[in-house]
Amino acid sequence: MLRFLVRRVSGAVVILLIISAVTFWLFYAIPRDPALMSCGKNCTPEALAQIRHNLGIDKPIPVQYWDWLVGIFAGREYSGYGFCHAPCLGYSFANREPVYGTIMDRLPLTLSLAFGSALVFLVLGIGAGMLAALKQGRFLDKLASSLSLIGSSLQIYFVGYIAMFLLVAKLGVLDQPSYTPLTQNPVSWASGMLLPCLTLAIIFTANYTRMTRSQLVEQLSEDYVRTARAKGLSRANVFFRFAWRGAMGPIVTVFGIDLGTLFGGAIITETTFSMQGIGRLAVDSVDKSDLPMLLGVTLLSAGAIVFLNVLVDAVYALIDPRIRLA
Amino acid sequence: MSFSRRNFLIATGMVAAAAPVLSACGSSDSGSGSSSQDKVPTVSGSKTQTIPVGTKADSTGPAPEVKGAVKGGTVYSLDQFDMDHMDPAQIYVATEGAITVPILRGLTGYKIDEKGGCTLVGDAATDAGTMKDGGKTWSFTMKDGLKWEDGSDITMDDVRHSFERLFASFVTEGPRYVQQWLVGGGKYKGPYDGKHLASIEIDGNTVIFRLSEARADFNFTLAMRGYSLVPKKHDTKEKYDKRPYSCGPYKIASRQVGKAMTYVRNEHWDPKTDSIRNAYPDKYVFQFGFQALASTDRYIADKGNDRYAMSIFNEVAPERIQQVLTNAKLKQRVLTEVDTVTYYWPINTTRIKDVKVRQAINYAWPLQQLQTIRGGAATSEVATTIFSPVTPGYTRFDLYDKTKKPGGDPVKAKALLKQAGKSGQKLVIAYQQSDNSVKQAVAIKNALEAAGFTVVNQQLDKSTFYTQIGKIDNGYDLMAAGWSPDWPGGYSVFYPCWDGHNIGNGRSNYAQLNDTGVNKAIEAASTIADTQAANKAWGAVDRQIMELAACVPDYHSIRNWMHGSKVGNVVYDSGNTCIALCKLYAMS
Repeated sequence: MLRFLVRRVSGAVVILLIISAVTFWLFYAIPRDPALMSCGKNCTPEALAQIRHNLGIDKPIPVQYWDWLVGIFAGREYSGYGFCHAPCLGYSFANREPVYGTIMDRLPLTLSLAFGSALVFLVLGIGAGMLAALKQGRFLDKLASSLSLIGSSLQIYFVGYIAMFLLVAKLGVLDQPSYTPLTQNPVSWASGMLLPCLTLAIIFTANYTRMTRSQLVEQLSEDYVRTARAKGLSRANVFFRFAWRGAMGPIVTVFGIDLGTLFGGAIITETTFSMQGIGRLAVDSVDKSDLPMLLGVTLLSAGAIVFLNVLVDAVYALIDPRIRLA
Repeated sequence: MSFSRRNFLIATGMVAAAAPVLSACGSSDSGSGSSSQDKVPTVSGSKTQTIPVGTKADSTGPAPEVKGAVKGGTVYSLDQFDMDHMDPAQIYVATEGAITVPILRGLTGYKIDEKGGCTLVGDAATDAGTMKDGGKTWSFTMKDGLKWEDGSDITMDDVRHSFERLFASFVTEGPRYVQQWLVGGGKYKGPYDGKHLASIEIDGNTVIFRLSEARADFNFTLAMRGYSLVPKKHDTKEKYDKRPYSCGPYKIASRQVGKAMTYVRNEHWDPKTDSIRNAYPDKYVFQFGFQALASTDRYIADKGNDRYAMSIFNEVAPERIQQVLTNAKLKQRVLTEVDTVTYYWPINTTRIKDVKVRQAINYAWPLQQLQTIRGGAATSEVATTIFSPVTPGYTRFDLYDKTKKPGGDPVKAKALLKQAGKSGQKLVIAYQQSDNSVKQAVAIKNALEAAGFTVVNQQLDKSTFYTQIGKIDNGYDLMAAGWSPDWPGGYSVFYPCWDGHNIGNGRSNYAQLNDTGVNKAIEAASTIADTQAANKAWGAVDRQIMELAACVPDYHSIRNWMHGSKVGNVVYDSGNTCIALCKLYAMS
């Protein structure tokens, strides 16, 4: 297992290096001058040159990339703006502060949203899918399938807007969506995040219901399940010990990718509920052409997906003994 | 003043944020532009506002108490954008000026009275200044008891440093008037190499400015937030933009750029030194990232902390303007004000040299369609002049029949083009990215093409828009822009934007107009000491420029801000054309 993890983590680091190099090159090769954007209206050529020097963008792109990589591990000096401590992901000329600090400030909200909604959609989605598979062809199956079809065709901005209007503005049963750090006030955290998490979960729940159902239906018709039944094992035993384990593999894989994507920011959810997470940060950075921030967010998103994929591979191996670690 | 990228975005998104100085002062309970009136206010129906210069007694603190106001609580804000700048030297945008009123103080400032009027008074200075040599020498004596947020005294060295640092190379966004006028300013590079500027003299508690030209309005200029004080000891140069030092009633407790900022009380501020600021709430929590529609919906819902919220940037969303203004209950929570800003489209006179072609553009322009896109008459009034009707000096005229034909006159425009022999004239139009500006660009293209032009629309990146249109060889024929005076009168409108001496990369004469007659008229008007005569002269300059059709006036702004039901005394800060933060209180 250890060898497996070491190999996968090494591979993940290489992938991240490639992603960062390509992204860095793409961002800095496009014809936009971060210094010009930072310089202001009454910018003089001297001031522009000074900003280019301060930001280190007067050097060749490979040197800039190397400096950026070194900054991640050792920090780096941005003359005039101060020292950016490790892990330094760059300096945002738009926000006038290190990229890493801003990302860390926005990340808790995004993590809350991702884990909160994941909890809901995993429990509801897998539960409903299991129920539908067990009651295949019956009313509950048809109900779950129909609801999941409706759910997957809804859009977050539509559901979110209607839910806010009804549950917050009209009926007042839920608080205005907001973010309070969990450590500061768990009750406020939960009440503020409830609506965004539920809204985001609706879309995912529908997908997981359909996926769980189809996987379970397929597994329940497999020979090994029939054999287990023939051996006289109880229905619950056959379902959970054999069919469920077999069905979970693909679901875990998709869950890893979904969660990784959510770590990169639930842009529409955050925008709908006016919340300031990684997704909004990415959109704002695009808006301001804040390339260092975009690079940081891109690396975070890519890192989350790569890391969760490694984790999923490990979990996959634990769930399904047929998967070889070596 | 010009608009930052951000302000222009707001403007093109219908909710116009503007510039310092004057305009109709009023409150949500009373006043000319008040929401309590059933009639929709119009810019041209509003009174011209002048700002008188106050006495020493007017400048003496504390600020008059607001009737019924209570101390304590928190006032929140729901806004889309954070501030680009907080270093006073870099502040030229109204909203940045407004949000920093509670923490920054300058030598002079605007005192808002209970009737919604305003007066120029001494802020850190004991009065609004003393003028000598016809305006070439100005002196200001500092009040006693002024302190920074760490409890240290504001020294005369700090005062001198605040003005000398305006010349540093990192200061690229703030106003440039004082730098231009101070004797020796052209060669001075700032105080960081230990050199002082001789034209700023310190004599005891008095600072004396020696100017290269007579400026009778210098004390108004110093009321701009861009000339607020900075402590020499805590000047962190470029980094100061992120965290300025306070000498006002509040100080910055925390700031997450683009997300939130909190002000808490500055215990070293003495209300006796301040005739401008009341400081009722214990705390201000500014929250960013709310689109206008989201903030409007939250104000309409009026739940929880939103009851204590107001906006600096965000106005009522165009989608909700009718709902809000036609509902008596909601309308009570709207502050409606006419603005001094005029939005216009400068025509690049170095590319479109024929005045007939420029006049044809004016005739063809679809003002009415553009007004509809912005949200109708409740949010703007079509413009025919560069001056706003509420600015002293405004003279009413309509050279291109826009009042009679606000939708444009393609027939007349076509005829003029034909006369000029320029049928099919190509026009490259530059505007910033935003939903509304795209819609407006389509309307403009359709109207101009109906008049015989060939139009190429160019949507530009918001973050570099003004840099791009500010280049001499920018390649654009028309550009979206806007301007409002930095203080009462025409100088701060016409000199920066229409004087031929102000053409250059990064300058605001986007039309690149260099007309000898206009240049002479601007110079003549700026030397007239008599206010009435000067105003008349500025009105004539406006007409002279429009006769040359150097721009297409688009609209004068009417602004509607909504707020929560528990925010008291929501009045207008005409100095910053925003809600007056230091007059608010949280109802108990």
